[in-house]
Amino acid sequence: MYILINAMKNLLRNKGRNILIATVTLAIIISTVVTLTIGNASSKIIEDTRLRIGSKVNIAIDLQEHGRSGKMEMPEVGIDDFFSYAQSDYLSKSILSAQLYLYSATTFAVDDDSKAQGIWESNDGTGEARKAGTMILIGNSDPDTLTDFSVDGGRKILPGGRMYSGLDECIISSDLAELNGISVGDTISARSVFEPVKNFDLVVVGIYSDETAAYPGPAYEEAKFFVFNRHNEVITSFETVMSKGFETDEGIQINAEYYLKNPDDISKFEAEVRAKGLPDDYSVSINQKELDGITGPLKSMAGITSTFMAVILILGAIVLVLLAFIAVRERQYEVGVLRAMGMEKAKIAVGILSEAVIISLMCLIIGLGIGSVASQPIADSILSSQVEVAAEKTKANSENLQFLVMSGKTELVNGLNGYTPVSEIQVALDAHTVIQITLIALALAGLSGVIGIAVITRYEPLKILRERN
Amino acid sequence: MSTLTLQNVSYKYEGSERLVIRDVSLSFEPGNVYTIIGKSGAGKSTLLNLLAGLDVATTGHIVYDGVSLAEINRNHYRARKAGIIFQGFNLLTNATALDNILLSMHISGVKGINKKTRALELLEKVGISPEKANRKILKLSGGEQQRIGMARALAHNPELIVADEPTGNLDEDTANRVLEVFASLAHEEGKCVIIVTHSKEVIAIADEIWSVDEGVFRPVPVNEG
Ligand SMILES: Nc1ncnc2c1ncn2[C@@H]1O[C@H](COP(=O)(O)OP(=O)(O)OP(=O)(O)O)[C@@H](O)[C@H]1O
Ligand SMILES: [Mg+2]
Repeated sequence: MYILINAMKNLLRNKGRNILIATVTLAIIISTVVTLTIGNASSKIIEDTRLRIGSKVNIAIDLQEHGRSGKMEMPEVGIDDFFSYAQSDYLSKSILSAQLYLYSATTFAVDDDSKAQGIWESNDGTGEARKAGTMILIGNSDPDTLTDFSVDGGRKILPGGRMYSGLDECIISSDLAELNGISVGDTISARSVFEPVKNFDLVVVGIYSDETAAYPGPAYEEAKFFVFNRHNEVITSFETVMSKGFETDEGIQINAEYYLKNPDDISKFEAEVRAKGLPDDYSVSINQKELDGITGPLKSMAGITSTFMAVILILGAIVLVLLAFIAVRERQYEVGVLRAMGMEKAKIAVGILSEAVIISLMCLIIGLGIGSVASQPIADSILSSQVEVAAEKTKANSENLQFLVMSGKTELVNGLNGYTPVSEIQVALDAHTVIQITLIALALAGLSGVIGIAVITRYEPLKILRERN
Repeated sequence: MSTLTLQNVSYKYEGSERLVIRDVSLSFEPGNVYTIIGKSGAGKSTLLNLLAGLDVATTGHIVYDGVSLAEINRNHYRARKAGIIFQGFNLLTNATALDNILLSMHISGVKGINKKTRALELLEKVGISPEKANRKILKLSGGEQQRIGMARALAHNPELIVADEPTGNLDEDTANRVLEVFASLAHEEGKCVIIVTHSKEVIAIADEIWSVDEGVFRPVPVNEG
């Protein structure tokens, strides 16, 4: 206790020197608080985003690879294959959906004014008129992934009905149900459009109210282009569609999203799906572009702050070392006196160190206060400037961008360009950061303390006193 | 109370060939005041440093309590046994007189008494008022600093007191007051007091006088002065 009180007194006795040391230490700590707070907050978001986006696997035709193979035909990946890829221990979940057009002689589509099922014909070049689909059949692997049915998704199953679960069960919109006088328990009979035709007899187990937009755009709506009317969707399970034994070239469109438990397992997962027969012209990848697009500005900010911190720490440490050396001359006499009075070297060392620690801890408290207040505005301004930089880059890129429209029979959802980067960050001092900064503060104290100790305690008391007298 | 004995002690400073202390053998007994006189540069302060355990003899032994100072923890010896009054005071100039004394008490591990009260008593004894006790050393005169150095040397109640020119900066009255303290320490409390001096007043209270020249010590008859 006396050591601490004496250390405090000693600090006050040498105000000039200690104010200088405290100022430098405070500057270091404030900038460290700011940079660490920002750095930790952004790396947390980067990691979260990596887990979120980086866990989503894209399996898509790699056109370059396909071109190299010299094959004309698009490689075949069947509906069963997509289903089998989903059965992997590396995945946390997978969302499979199949979409195809249905034609029914008994059920009319919403907005199909002609009600002329089967008359809306197309020619596939064989000269044979074919009946176009009027309803859209959606087969989903997991009802929980239907975002439209989430709390404010716009669709709600009406009382008396339920979500599909077993084979050949479906749900339809109230529009479609009213138009055709369908109620829960009725069966819809329909068939696929392309040859060989598959027949569906689907039991309606639920009818849903639908607040979602029916058409993708006003032009579609004006034209009452009813094959695009979402209220004509008949939603069933993926297994129901799969059970009909479709081949991929039979007008079926499949979306497959796979989510890894751990994004680092991407190559293991790829090895597994290759073993299950995925052709080489398909690429298996996480969406690095999206990941970079979202976290890019954050990463630049983290880079800027950590560079800044390194510079501050190095410069600050140099200044502190210099100050410690300057202080040594002043201290020598003091140490000589104490040694002459019989104080042990170790005790003197403890005294010097406690002085340094007291300075650092006081700076730590003040620095944490100032730093935590300053972090948010600083983070905001750095991040917004980085978002601007990223936006300019994207703009420059997109001017050269050519949109490639793929007309494969099997189309897989791929990432789109123009991701919105994280542009807001909530930075706050957390326990982890406080611990880091405390360690840095103690290291700074140790640095200046140890230099003093090393230089001063080498001498015998007489020698030190003689130099002064 | 123990005797401090020098056995054929010689000393030369590091890097110098000249013996500053030459083959000295003598004893300092408790209860006596010893004065050491001699020309400037004769080796007086050097001897005091050896007696105070700030340095060790180049050859020979300084024995205290039956053990050579070369072999003991001299930090402990300085902190507990010896009280040193330096020619150049060696006080912490940024600290108050009181703090200087309290610090010395802390180093010596003084316990069980009210340290502040004792420190103020000691200062009073050497003529430093409580008001001055709370002043920084820098703001006190040379004579005051010298007396604070003395109070500090006595703070841990040492058995052995070595003083280098303790009245050098004092007027006659103050010097006499200080000398009374030294005399009573030796004659009433049984301490061993060794004083280096040029002053006749100091010599007057001496029980034994040694003269030193070129590092050689000779006894001086007390009555001659
Ligand atoms: N650090 C040193 N290195 C070498 N020689 C020294 C050193 N300190 C003192 N001396 C020499 O040792 C001799 C004795 O010095 P000392 O300080 O003991 O003299 P002194 O008798 O106390 O003199 P004064 O009355 O002036 O204080 C002197 O000749 C001095 O020059
Ligand atoms: Mg001298």
